[in-house]
Amino acid sequence: MSGNQTIVGLLQAALPRASQPAVIAVGLAYFAVIIAISVWAARRTRTASDFFVAGKGIGLIALTVASVSVSVSGFAFIGGPGFIYAVGLGAMYIVLPAAVTNVMGAWVLAKRMRLLGEARNLITIPDAIGARYRSPAAQGLAAIAILVGIVGYMATNALAMGVVINSIFGVGLGWGIWIGMGVTLAYSASGGILAGIYNDVFQGTLMAAASVLVFLFVLGYGGGLGGISHTILAHDPVLLGPWGKLTPLAALSFFFVFSIGSLGQPQAVHKYYMLRDPLQLKWYPLLKTLGLVLVLLLYFSVGVGVKAFVLDGRLPPLTSPDQATPTLLLNVTPILLAALVFSGVAAATMSAANSFINIGAAIVTHDLPVAFGRRVGNELGWGRAVTIVIAVAAALTAQLSGTTVAFLGIFGWGLFASTLVPALAVGLNWAGATRVGAMASIATGLVLTLALESAAYARLFTFPAGVTASAVAMVASLLVFFVASILTRRSAEATLDPDVRLVMEL
Amino acid sequence: VWAPWLLALGIPTAVGAIMILGATRSNRGIGPLKLPFLFTVVILAAGFCAALALPANETAASQLWLGLPIRAAAVIYGVGLLPIVVLPIAYALTFETQTLSADDVERVRELGRQNRATTPSLDEREAQSLPHE
Repeated sequence: MSGNQTIVGLLQAALPRASQPAVIAVGLAYFAVIIAISVWAARRTRTASDFFVAGKGIGLIALTVASVSVSVSGFAFIGGPGFIYAVGLGAMYIVLPAAVTNVMGAWVLAKRMRLLGEARNLITIPDAIGARYRSPAAQGLAAIAILVGIVGYMATNALAMGVVINSIFGVGLGWGIWIGMGVTLAYSASGGILAGIYNDVFQGTLMAAASVLVFLFVLGYGGGLGGISHTILAHDPVLLGPWGKLTPLAALSFFFVFSIGSLGQPQAVHKYYMLRDPLQLKWYPLLKTLGLVLVLLLYFSVGVGVKAFVLDGRLPPLTSPDQATPTLLLNVTPILLAALVFSGVAAATMSAANSFINIGAAIVTHDLPVAFGRRVGNELGWGRAVTIVIAVAAALTAQLSGTTVAFLGIFGWGLFASTLVPALAVGLNWAGATRVGAMASIATGLVLTLALESAAYARLFTFPAGVTASAVAMVASLLVFFVASILTRRSAEATLDPDVRLVMEL
Repeated sequence: VWAPWLLALGIPTAVGAIMILGATRSNRGIGPLKLPFLFTVVILAAGFCAALALPANETAASQLWLGLPIRAAAVIYGVGLLPIVVLPIAYALTFETQTLSADDVERVRELGRQNRATTPSLDEREAQSLPHE
């Protein structure tokens, strides 16, 4: 559910000016904490392993909160409630899969990724694909696919940061982009993922606190969920049907993409490498699921709450659905709570940006050279340099392209899902997978997602009944993976090293 | 007409299948996880099918279940919350036997030590590339 719809929502929202003294004060306090954590983390970052995988030394709680933080992005705060406001409960099919995705990811990927990291000293997701298929070419192709997705996420997150910071401080969109990206860059380049993780812990805690408080406030203000439901049912009952205003096919295809597709999201999967002790995975799914439920309370409550408050006249009609959260915060909630949520939105976008900067830097300095049979000396130094380049490029793209970059963010989730789920999630669990199957599925996912999403964005072609292009691309990629692997099954045995085989059998 | 029903049954099947794929240990199957997996597949399918099958007659007079009309409650509480009560708990309770034991970790660590003896780690490579002080 992360950045794509989020950011599109943010960009289209043109958030109202929230620059009141309390909001600015909380915003400044938020940035002060970020800087303090970053300085502390920078002093502990001495090696490339520290920089890219936090030295594989993160504890369970920190990793869980950080993973929650990077999973939801700003979508949970702005785009998601706006989506519920517009289409009703159909929008819940993006977040309902959270009930199963974390434990599914733990069974399918967490153990095997973590153990592969242990056996091979792996630091990236393409590393795991390269090790699984004994193929630098597959590693390189996976790296390119992730890099394409990151381009979209980064540029749109940069613009979203600008929108939020401009809303809080009133500095203008351009300055907002550079301030947000500057702060993110400062901690990304100095402390790498270590700074990112501990900032994510702070940001995730902030998001959860803001979400719970807003949830309680909305329920109290609306007379409980029953009161809110009665108001909506009296005016527009379709919104509280199980599909809202979506078709059943559209809602269910969302569920499909956001459940199975979660197994290919690098910002979450990459975190498995970082856990200090693999045995701590025992409680990871439970804690992460509970954390996600807390953070997503705002998504649901603001979506249905604002709809009811607008319908019964307690709030003015919205100019766009994405105004749902800002309108509630600036008109109804106590100003300190509003300040907390605005900081939470900034936190969410910065958290996602940091994670993608780090993954992108690892791809450029590690995976692509490996694919070409080379190694970069001083990966820490190059990692920091590439981090700066990616951040500046993202900020420039955001500033120069304006809202047209929103298109780049649309296909991120689907692109990661269609390119990585077959080769990584299925491949690490099925000995019959071959490198031909992996490469064919990655290429299929990449090409189909880009083609279908571009066609949909340009209104040249869409699937009937609201079925998402991402769902079709993921199914096609899976089919290609299985068919190509079966056709080349004689090579399957040769692509498995003994240590990889052991990790797959455990 | 039939396509939503296919998805309503196909998605839970796909989710269940991929969980089984991930939880299966060589030659040992999924053991006691059969029941939690079956519960999850059934509860997802039941939630989606209830939403499709029950009449769409939500009105201001509709009876609410925990604050929501019945079809919405089946999806939000059934699909969105009930698996949380079962799956992560089942994962934790069966972790040592079905997922990972200390012995498993030690076997992999031993392999890692052997690998490092022949291939330098990232940090070792980096140390080699830096000028000696």
